[in-house]
Amino acid sequence: MTVTIAAYSLTSALGTGIAGMRTGLAAGESPLTSSPWPGCDVECFLGRVDGVSLDAVEASRRSRNNALIELGLAQDDFAATVASARSEFGADRLGVIMGTSTSSIDRTEAGYHDLDAADRFASDYRQPRTHNPHAPGDYLASRIGARGPCITISAACASSAKVFATGKRWLEQGLADAVVVAGADSLCLSIIYGFHSLQLVSPERCRPFSQNRSGISLGEAAGFVLLTRDSDAQRPRVLGVGESCDAYHMSSAHPEGLGARLCMERALADGGIGLADVGYVNLHGTGTRANDETEGAVLAAMLAEAKPSQQPLVSATKGWTGHTLGAAGIVEAILCLNALETSVVPGTMNTTDPDAQFEVLLESCEAAVEVAMTNSFGFGGNNASVVFAR
Amino acid sequence: MMQFSILGCGIWGRGLQGFSALRSGLADPAFVPRDDDYARPKPEAISARERRRSGELINLAVQVAHEACANAGIDPQLPPSVFVSSMSDTAITDYMCRKLVTSEKTLSPTKFHNSVHNAPSGYWSISAENRAPSSFVGGFDYSVGAGLLEAVSQSHAARTPVLFVAYDIANTPPFHDIQRIDESLGVALLLNADTDEGDAGDPAMQPLARGALRYETGLADTRDALAIDRGNIVHPGLSDFAEQTSLPGALALALWCASRGSVGADRPIQLAASAFGQLIIDPKPDR
Repeated sequence: MTVTIAAYSLTSALGTGIAGMRTGLAAGESPLTSSPWPGCDVECFLGRVDGVSLDAVEASRRSRNNALIELGLAQDDFAATVASARSEFGADRLGVIMGTSTSSIDRTEAGYHDLDAADRFASDYRQPRTHNPHAPGDYLASRIGARGPCITISAACASSAKVFATGKRWLEQGLADAVVVAGADSLCLSIIYGFHSLQLVSPERCRPFSQNRSGISLGEAAGFVLLTRDSDAQRPRVLGVGESCDAYHMSSAHPEGLGARLCMERALADGGIGLADVGYVNLHGTGTRANDETEGAVLAAMLAEAKPSQQPLVSATKGWTGHTLGAAGIVEAILCLNALETSVVPGTMNTTDPDAQFEVLLESCEAAVEVAMTNSFGFGGNNASVVFAR
Repeated sequence: MMQFSILGCGIWGRGLQGFSALRSGLADPAFVPRDDDYARPKPEAISARERRRSGELINLAVQVAHEACANAGIDPQLPPSVFVSSMSDTAITDYMCRKLVTSEKTLSPTKFHNSVHNAPSGYWSISAENRAPSSFVGGFDYSVGAGLLEAVSQSHAARTPVLFVAYDIANTPPFHDIQRIDESLGVALLLNADTDEGDAGDPAMQPLARGALRYETGLADTRDALAIDRGNIVHPGLSDFAEQTSLPGALALALWCASRGSVGADRPIQLAASAFGQLIIDPKPDR
């Protein structure tokens, strides 16, 4: 059975909608900005979505993730495309799988400024469907009128890569005829101060796989992919998904990258291919020493088994978008899909002095890519790789 | 319709410290979980060093996850897992939000990495040396149904038993207007797909219960269903207790196991109802 990418849309620091993303890629400049985040004194660069103002979010009583979802759904006729799938298959046969790490924590943070004497939220913040881990998935399903199965997957920075595993399985098992898989995560004090507490936030623009890497730059995004069983040869498809756990440490990768290797191998096996068949690898590439060294060593060992003529293009794209945490999986999935469809392979923004035992693509280039793989690794030692084919 | 068996069960809550406590409680019609009979679990599978970092929610999930595997007689290294919680770790949410309204805003790095919703899954995988896929699934007030659908679906696809773990901790006033939870509860089930080619698992494992799961949209007529998400559990003391938790459906599933599949055996079990659909378990599926 073919799991087809019927449509997709992305809103991130790179731009609003797919056209905005392509314009951002063509501009060849990192959109990460040092302009301060309200209430935050951590020295950092952020990948912000400028179309969602903090004041407008507060006035709407939405979480920032739901505001990002709202903006994202309006791009690329995505909501209209989903509406026509809903008409074709029926609302009952349209499923939703959201990947997120922050859910709606920014709205909960705001509510804590206003607790009353009995420690209760002010009335504006008594929003059961906002302050819970499932909130963004619930919101998306309501907005698109989906009445099929709806869940939110939260596995830190692997969240919206894992949505492809569940979406593919639901279609294969007939639990739904069309599934919107999505990722949304947004900037807020919890994550900036949280990563700062782990000393992982770079004071400069992140430089993944650079000899002078200095940590992560956080970002925000909302991305959506409509999956169906149509065997439309013109559309890209999900070839395979692999998931694993490191079973090693909550916030440090396994030193030999056991979990990273397992999920890549499982994704390739699920797709019935080998690494030699992959034309482009989008690394997790956060810009921390721990991630990049481990991921680099694992990929180098796997590439050593392939012939020199079969080496894929390899890049890390968080210098373009920031690390969008639970949305990173779908952001980088969409960059892979864009590479398959337009033959524009994104380079490793901000990095000029690569530190890897394989060639890192620094400048974006044009190359016909048939198969692309993306890696996402999260806290809890949770890993996922997804392989797409043209 | 996906048929499945439950091969093992673990539970931890007030008066319900392990599956055998649930079975003996169920056998006693006068059983009521005593007010003072809750002790936070200290799962031995987590090292003493790590246990200083793991809070109640993580310990609850890891405790019941290991018990369900031991109860089924399966190596805990093996099963993929699905973790669900209605509100996740509100103790950490409360800690972080209180810190972030101060001028200092400094967060504990341990509390921050424990704040990810998949933290219990992470501690579980480390304690069990389990490298199979593991997810946290959110479904708010239909978390049990959402997670069960995901776990049974995974078991059918991968042809392997899958561990389903549901848990929530009692919460504090800011969250009472979101979803009030007065009782901490953890329930884990080792689920296994039943297919036409037979069970995916070891034939030596005797199931505690068998059922078939179906997903229905709209509000189908469930008047004949055992509406366990509303705490309609036949045992009075346990029914009252279920109402104090956020996961009455998980407790009902554990009771179904403890009664060897006889609770609701002649009526479908309605597991979750949401704006989108509901899960129905038919305890006597046609084979």
